[in-house]
Amino acid sequence: MDVNWAQVLFNSAITGSLYLLGAVGLTLTYGLSSFPNFAHAEFITLGAFLGYTIGTQLGLGLPIALVVTFFTAGLVGLLCYRGIFQPLAKRGATIIHLMVASIALSFILRYSMGAIWSWKPYYFASSWAAFDVGPLRVTGLWLWLIAIAVGLAIVMHLGLVKTRMGKAIRATSSNPDLALASGININKVILITWFVGAGLAAVAGIFRGADTQIWPLTGWDIILPIFAVTILGGIGNFYGAIASAFIIGLAENFGVVGLMALGLSTSYRLGISFVILIITLIVKPQGLAMFFRRA
Amino acid sequence: MDLLLYGLDLLVFIGIFGILAISLNLEFGFSGLANFGKVAFFLIGAYTYALLSQIGLPFYLCLISGALVAAIFGLLISLPALRLRADYLAIVVLAFGEILRLIVKSEAWLAGGDWGLSVSPAISITGVSPRVDLLVNIALVFSCLLICFVVAQLLSNSPYGRVIRAIREDEVAAEALGKNRARYKVQIFMLGSAMAGVAGGLYAQYLQAIVPMLFLPIITFTIWIMVLVGGPANNWGVLVGAALVEVFERGANIAKDYIALPIDPSNLQYILFGVLILLVLFYRPQGLFKEIPIKTRALEAVRHAREQIKGEGG
Amino acid sequence: MPEEELLKIEELSKHFGGVYAVSGVSLDVRKGGIWGLVGPNGSGKSTLFNTILGLYRPDGGCIYFNGRKINNLSSHQIYGLGIVNSFQVPRLFFQMSVMDNMLVAARGHQGDGLFNSLFLRGGWQSQERELIDRALEFIELVELGKMVFALAGELSGGQRKLLELARGLMAKPRLLLLDEPAAGVNPVVGKKIFQKLQTLSKNGTTFFVVEHRLEILFNFASWVYVMDRGKMVTQGQPEKIVDDPAFYQAYLGAE
Ligand SMILES: Nc1ncnc2c1ncn2[C@@H]1O[C@H](COP(=O)(O)OP(=O)(O)OP(=O)(O)O)[C@@H](O)[C@H]1O
Ligand SMILES: [Mg+2]
Repeated sequence: MDVNWAQVLFNSAITGSLYLLGAVGLTLTYGLSSFPNFAHAEFITLGAFLGYTIGTQLGLGLPIALVVTFFTAGLVGLLCYRGIFQPLAKRGATIIHLMVASIALSFILRYSMGAIWSWKPYYFASSWAAFDVGPLRVTGLWLWLIAIAVGLAIVMHLGLVKTRMGKAIRATSSNPDLALASGININKVILITWFVGAGLAAVAGIFRGADTQIWPLTGWDIILPIFAVTILGGIGNFYGAIASAFIIGLAENFGVVGLMALGLSTSYRLGISFVILIITLIVKPQGLAMFFRRA
Repeated sequence: MDLLLYGLDLLVFIGIFGILAISLNLEFGFSGLANFGKVAFFLIGAYTYALLSQIGLPFYLCLISGALVAAIFGLLISLPALRLRADYLAIVVLAFGEILRLIVKSEAWLAGGDWGLSVSPAISITGVSPRVDLLVNIALVFSCLLICFVVAQLLSNSPYGRVIRAIREDEVAAEALGKNRARYKVQIFMLGSAMAGVAGGLYAQYLQAIVPMLFLPIITFTIWIMVLVGGPANNWGVLVGAALVEVFERGANIAKDYIALPIDPSNLQYILFGVLILLVLFYRPQGLFKEIPIKTRALEAVRHAREQIKGEGG
Repeated sequence: MPEEELLKIEELSKHFGGVYAVSGVSLDVRKGGIWGLVGPNGSGKSTLFNTILGLYRPDGGCIYFNGRKINNLSSHQIYGLGIVNSFQVPRLFFQMSVMDNMLVAARGHQGDGLFNSLFLRGGWQSQERELIDRALEFIELVELGKMVFALAGELSGGQRKLLELARGLMAKPRLLLLDEPAAGVNPVVGKKIFQKLQTLSKNGTTFFVVEHRLEILFNFASWVYVMDRGKMVTQGQPEKIVDDPAFYQAYLGAE
């Protein structure tokens, strides 16, 4: 078997960027609101559909699609939190109740999207020229994705380190009580996180949709790696999420080479995330957070 | 008479999902375990039954093996997560269900891939009408349901039931009172998985064909609705919940042939399920029927004596 | 009198991030009697108890019970050895009745096992009858006789504390750690409880009590430890300790 290892490495960066965008909202809202939002997958799906409608159906192109999708999905995420999770938590819902509520929300969103856009898959009208850079085959779409992920990492890092709000988010996600005591407006922090998290998930959805297909399960199809990133990175830990997204990206792309060598179905690439998830829980349930104490 | 067959078929489904609801109730209702991958153990039971029946094992051995295999997987999958918070277990089992479906889909040589497996019925009597056939199935399914129900009732009304409820309420306090919470949780998880395995076997032999598409996460969610609507920690309640949800699903199926809706009814049905759950969580988290306190003979005797004294005093 | 050593703690430390909740604490508790632990708010008393109980892993030091090192045991094993605790903030099973809360604590209930609960129903049913009688005694002691079948969640704050105490007694402890058992309880009942503890302490149970109402505690305790900011600052008989400058320092320094 002839393997272009450089390409595998590049693909890992693509996958890692995608998972980072997809998971960052999940891990931060999980840390702040103390429950995993299973409906996060639906924000990804929503992004794919919105991106398709704006970019391809209305023909407005990728940049506009990215911006509009980010803000629309962000608003949806915010409304979900304000309308469902926050009031439920106020009523004293347990973590299990909140998780069930997120699954219920997930079904409402998924089947609503099924009703609006139907269950027939769509594909982006592909207009991305592929070109070769050395041994690599690259398309403009992937360069966009990587640029956005790197941009996100830089902006978030600067935001977390330099701004007051960023310091608040770091304080809050590692110790909500402490933040409360030091007079940080934790509520505002949580709202912003839900907005940005859902928006970024939707951006990830556009790329995922462009890579595969756009249908009501676009997001659910990658729920395993998204959760693996969250757990491996340490719940609520941004820097951990960056590291684990690229670790899982590498594991998946090299794993696929291995699966093909073994003659197994490549659909098992999802199984790689599952194995990483289980190993993390057995070895170190806090994940990589220990390396990134201060996030 | 078509309608009768339809009703009998509905009863079989209520019975099978009743078992699943009872088993989730043991896990979530009584012990506070968030099993978000119920469908995984249902799948294991179904595929074990199908594979073993193909090599000619009698149906009861197939059912029992399905329960055992499901229990063993329940043990293996829950061990890494049970000592952690409830959310870890939820994520792991949910993921496990997705992986299992992937496996039976991919491994055509073993599980038939997308085409699935065909299963012979548990009890086939040649030359009888479909009605009798259904009645035999109902008898089989409801005997299994009865066993599961009795076990659940006996367990929940015993000192053991007291311990698992205590673990649900405050596991740290329960552990400080000498209860090895990990052991209890593993036991309950295995028992619940075994019951789900039996339900899977019954399902496989009733449908006589199983495909991966039957085991989507929506099944897990449906069982959760049954338990939450019926009333967690109330075995009678969750049976009512199972019946209500099954009847609603059928009703929705019939209605879509007669009523013109602006939304495709199969989408609408799940949207309504989601809304229903949110309404329950907001306005009636205890479900239709409240938790029944533990009843043992000794407790009842004391309660009775106290009420009499109160009666005489007042 | 010959006093056997029951609990021995050497240089115990427990940190939370940068907070040294307990640092280098050593103490002995010998068999019998009521032992006091006092100190201002936040001095580490509850943390010390929770560490003894196995709820926190110590960051340093050793805990011995009956000569056996118990640092690395989990809390159900520590219960098995005979150490029981009643929490400062009651951790009751709120959706369960007062009686069921008591029965969970019972030691060696045969029906606690999966197999027995299903198949040996005769055995545990008769045992349960005896346990219920014992539970009723303690319930009457803490004056909850009218609430036997009420849910624990329906109790008032003071009643919750009392049930927490009764539940600890139900567990037949050899050493019972009581974290402010009389907080929020009316003083008359508080006093009555301490009298009962004194009687029980003559029958093989040892009590180690955190209490802010020094006037009650000092009437009953035979020895008192004083903590301040995570450290053990002094110890002694109650009548002597009231004259100890370190004792005043701990309380006045904190204010
Ligand atoms: N779980 C925890 N996480 C972080 N800090 C803690 C934790 N538990 C206790 N602390 C800190 O440890 C110190 C000791 O607390 P502790 O509750 O043991 O004091 P205490 O003597 O019981 O006080 P009180 O008399 O108010 O009950 C305090 O500064 C407290 O804030
Ligand atoms: Mg305290």
